[in-house]
Amino acid sequence: MSGSVQDLVLDGNAAAGLLQEIFVPEITNAEIECEVCGSTARVGALHLYAAEMGVVLRCTCCDGILMRAVHTVHGRWLEMKGTRCLRF
Amino acid sequence: MTAIETLARPAQRIAWQLAQVRGIAAETYRVKSLMLRVANWRGHLPGQHVDIRLTAADGYQAQRSYSIASPPEDEPLALTVERVDGGEVSPYLVDDLRAGDHFELRGPIGGYFVWTVATRGPLWVIAGGSGITPLMAMLRHRARRKLRAPALLLYSSRSLDDVIYREELGAMVRADPDLRVVHTLTREQPEGWVGHRGRIDKALLAEAGFPPGQNPCIYVCGATPFVEDVSRFLVELGHDPLTVKTERFGPSGG
Amino acid sequence: MDETPISRGFRSRRLEQTPKNRVPPGQHVTTDFPVLSAGPTPQIKVENWNFALQLGASLLGKWSWAEFEALPQTTIKTDIHCVTKWSKLDTTWQGVTFDDLLKTVGLGEPPTAYVMAHCDGGYTTNVPVADLVRGKGMIATRYEGLPIAPAHGGPARLLVPHLYFWKSAKWIHRLRFMERDQRGFWESLGYHNYGDPWKEERYDGD
Repeated sequence: MSGSVQDLVLDGNAAAGLLQEIFVPEITNAEIECEVCGSTARVGALHLYAAEMGVVLRCTCCDGILMRAVHTVHGRWLEMKGTRCLRF
Repeated sequence: MTAIETLARPAQRIAWQLAQVRGIAAETYRVKSLMLRVANWRGHLPGQHVDIRLTAADGYQAQRSYSIASPPEDEPLALTVERVDGGEVSPYLVDDLRAGDHFELRGPIGGYFVWTVATRGPLWVIAGGSGITPLMAMLRHRARRKLRAPALLLYSSRSLDDVIYREELGAMVRADPDLRVVHTLTREQPEGWVGHRGRIDKALLAEAGFPPGQNPCIYVCGATPFVEDVSRFLVELGHDPLTVKTERFGPSGG
Repeated sequence: MDETPISRGFRSRRLEQTPKNRVPPGQHVTTDFPVLSAGPTPQIKVENWNFALQLGASLLGKWSWAEFEALPQTTIKTDIHCVTKWSKLDTTWQGVTFDDLLKTVGLGEPPTAYVMAHCDGGYTTNVPVADLVRGKGMIATRYEGLPIAPAHGGPARLLVPHLYFWKSAKWIHRLRFMERDQRGFWESLGYHNYGDPWKEERYDGD
């Protein structure tokens, strides 16, 4: 069992299964721009938190939340207010 | 379409489908490879993974991701699974699963942590423990395509008994003068071991690896702490962060 | 596929021996204490920590760490239930109950029906005040007698153990009274607004 949250951090690769239900073009290679700090990265390179509950993808520069997503039996939720732009 | 163009087809919507176990092979005392038949499999790229889902008789479900270990040139599809003590899914896959069993699978997933022979430049893959799996798909693909460009695997394992694909890697090296494999053993070394000891550090990366000037494509895979340390060292050594791709497997097994 | 295929021999964790009436539906008991966080662990020094009760534009009360430690302390032993399906029994927590916080700021009654917990790192969760009073909720600072580890929400977390554990917000620094309910971090993204484990209220729509 890990004692540190940092050890539990995954990356956008592990979010791909859930996100691919929503996005048709491949998402992990898409370029994403952070609304808070303006940096860009590939979705696959972002830090992924709370994978057991959903997807919380954070900017590797400023830790701002770029994207949140949840898939439940009642449907899928996606919030991207931290994303300035997503380019496929 | 040539085979490479086939590989580069854009992703299609993935859906759960049935995977049947055709065979199981022991890789180490705690690692097994599962050979799977997936009816509607449309091929994959080296580095991609699948999600699998197990359902118990009472409807309880568990879902996990596993990297595809086989290259796109090979059939059947192979996953390599390490038994994590106290885990919910891996002990079942490693200890209980039998040929003929089935589970649900969806994929292939991922386009970021992917390498094919169409990518230019030296290939440098860095594995921590079971992080070797997607990197092995890349190396196997490279071997099937007989690519003549330099490649290096830097592979950290607890002990020699923990090295997955050990014989196969040895055979690959003997058959291919452009491939180097450098092992480091972190906890236990056999008598007479002249290879590296201890974790991958900046010195080992500098000594064994491609220098930044050669612009290698670098892939790092393993437990999160391993991946974060190695990527940080690589950047400190002067490698462009955009050339370093990472896949974190979560906390170390311990 | 019409029905989900069963994987031969895969055993549900729910079959593991669990005491009756203590484990809500769909849960299994763990002896671990899994860590789940929506972001990096804030490194909060107690010298810089403070906690506030907020109503509208004003603070009803604000405490430094030393002041908070001087408030009446309560210890409880309780079970906790995570929406990701693990339950942990007989966990011991110490902190300041919501009732004592109200008393300390001179309130006989809570001023509104809802609160929002605000935390370092930006996490939020909403709780009805009725689920905090009469000993049901506290600001916890000790787990099993020791300061709560940062990964588990230390220095202080909200503790509302009768609801799913995402409501027991880590790294809390403020409770804001609200006239009307508003949804917090997970509640606005598909999780249930209330979260009663005994009714399996995991997701919005349950």
